[in-house]
Amino acid sequence: MIMEPLKTIRPELLQLTDPQLAALLPYFVVFGGIAVVIILSVVRFMKPKWPVFFLSLLTVGFGIGAALGLLQEGASELVFNGMMVSDTYSNFFIIVFLAAAGFTILSSFRYLDHENLQHPEYYVLTLFSALGMMLMASSLDLIVLFIALELMSLAVYVLVGFRRADRRSNEAALKYFILGSAASAVLLYGAALLYGMTGSTHIRDILAFVQSHPAGLPPVYVLGAWLVIVGFLFKVAAVPFHMWMPDVYEGAPVPVTGFMTTGLKAAAFAGFVRVLLATGYGKGLSEAVQANFHDLLWVCAVLTMLVGNIVALTQTNLKRMLAYSSIAHSGYLLVGMLAGPGSEQGYAPVVMYLVAYAVMNLGAFVVLTIIADRGDSGLNLNDLSGLARRHPWLSFAMGVFMFSMAGIPPTAGFAAKYLIFYSAIQANEISLVIIAVLCSAISVYYYLRVLVYIYMRDPVGSPAASRMSVWSVAAVTVMVVLTLQIGILPAKMVSAARKAVTSL
Amino acid sequence: MEISPIFFYLFAGVALAASAMVILKRNPVASAFSLVMVFFAFAGIYALLDAHLIAAIQILVYAGAIMVLFLFVIMLLSADVPSFDLRRAHPVARAVGGVLSLVLFGFFVWAFKNSPSPAPLGNFTAENIEAAGGNSRVLSELMFSEYILPFELTSVLLLAAIIGAVAIAKRKQSLPTEGRRK
Repeated sequence: MIMEPLKTIRPELLQLTDPQLAALLPYFVVFGGIAVVIILSVVRFMKPKWPVFFLSLLTVGFGIGAALGLLQEGASELVFNGMMVSDTYSNFFIIVFLAAAGFTILSSFRYLDHENLQHPEYYVLTLFSALGMMLMASSLDLIVLFIALELMSLAVYVLVGFRRADRRSNEAALKYFILGSAASAVLLYGAALLYGMTGSTHIRDILAFVQSHPAGLPPVYVLGAWLVIVGFLFKVAAVPFHMWMPDVYEGAPVPVTGFMTTGLKAAAFAGFVRVLLATGYGKGLSEAVQANFHDLLWVCAVLTMLVGNIVALTQTNLKRMLAYSSIAHSGYLLVGMLAGPGSEQGYAPVVMYLVAYAVMNLGAFVVLTIIADRGDSGLNLNDLSGLARRHPWLSFAMGVFMFSMAGIPPTAGFAAKYLIFYSAIQANEISLVIIAVLCSAISVYYYLRVLVYIYMRDPVGSPAASRMSVWSVAAVTVMVVLTLQIGILPAKMVSAARKAVTSL
Repeated sequence: MEISPIFFYLFAGVALAASAMVILKRNPVASAFSLVMVFFAFAGIYALLDAHLIAAIQILVYAGAIMVLFLFVIMLLSADVPSFDLRRAHPVARAVGGVLSLVLFGFFVWAFKNSPSPAPLGNFTAENIEAAGGNSRVLSELMFSEYILPFELTSVLLLAAIIGAVAIAKRKQSLPTEGRRK
């Protein structure tokens, strides 16, 4: 019985129209840049260090430029048979990811010299990871999403283990690799179950399936959806999937840790929000399923905030402390996601928070990169004693970032937290907001303790020479300015975030 | 085409038993060979589903190429350290882990029992595929038109993996000492 002949050759799918080509420009720029960097790093007639460094920065710059151009136009373009989309949301996040990659590269230059590490591979892998993040934010198909996730993670697994001579770095890379692969497998299994139930990996077809079952979704669908969500929750290190994070953050080279907390987390959340929204979260799901998602995410958010903040109190290593604080910030972001459907701002506070968090956290890690001793030692609280006498401006920058993370005005952290809590109140999540505010109050203690050590303790030991380079100083300066600018005049960033979210 | 239940249960049973062997065997080489068995059983299931090309690729690429590389690595590293020992685990951890996996298993069984059979996947029936020129042809045509983006992205992913492997495995280069302060 032949129903209708299969039509598998569809040449129209292989042709890109001009607007589609333009929409893909940032991706082409970044991948082209990577290709040229790879070639440059193997030529033998010159040292690849400087050309590769500048070319990587140039790639990031052109990529941001292309994304800014697309953002101005504000068009929304489906490409490759609807498997990915270029809209304001994806272009907004492209800028965030590329900026994170760019500042990581800037701050790593002197670091790599000091630690005697190879330059070209480091930059190439950073760019690869950024490319994976860009695809995460723009994919509309579970297969593409999975490949993007793997591309982003695989490059970072290697970056975490980049200090090959250091056992902690090896251990961190192996832990991250094994646990990360397991989480990817869980996500993939979930995607396979969704495909089995709905007959498509495409997110819009999955939405159509959801809408055609108003009475209730089959259990296998819910199971698959939960497995996919667990995969995402692992990537953002929400409790109870956070065990890997402190060890990995501690073992990874400092600039890589900064890149992970900003780029990786923002990408995971960007993909998470897009997939969850596009498959009908908040609208279109039946009451029971929506309540099920809401309740479990609620528990997850509360646990994440509590565990992150309380364990951070006892940490004396700055990298570990920032790792737990990063878990806590994931909790606040989950609060924003829970509040999304019920508040008039929707998910704009989440996007805004991701940007603010990226800025202040990247800044803090650039400072840590500068003051770290050889082999990433000297990052305990004691080592910071009296830093203000040696580096007054660096200490000031660290102060701005710490105030911002604690959510004290007039910094970016305050504006972002205010928006998230406000939207949660609008969504009538009163108990959630109370817990979040209490957790936020706890966090002030461990953020300000850093400043107590920097400003009020006498220096101990002989001060080591710091890896101050003009590149890292530039990065820190930009981050301080951005933190204060978003904090004092948040309106511009809020409207950009809102525009990005409405294009979803 | 009707799937013969006997063969399905045979292959599935072999796959399950061999997967258990992969993690229970203490000798890494034995684990690797159990994994080969798993791949063969999977290939059998694919063949039952009329996916002959995938079955062949499964045997050639996974059971053949990838597992041989695995074995080479195991032998080169001479990893005769027992990889896994259940007896070393804490009894409480063992109990909690066992109970939780049973609960998860029960939940999966319940979910699959209570769900309708999967939606028909387009018009990709065995007869239709046969009429359009067979498995390999339909698959390759789909791969290079509808699924071109994942296909190309996979090559980007592989490139990143190669660079990463080189970065980790490369022998230590002697950097010039100028510019270092310590």
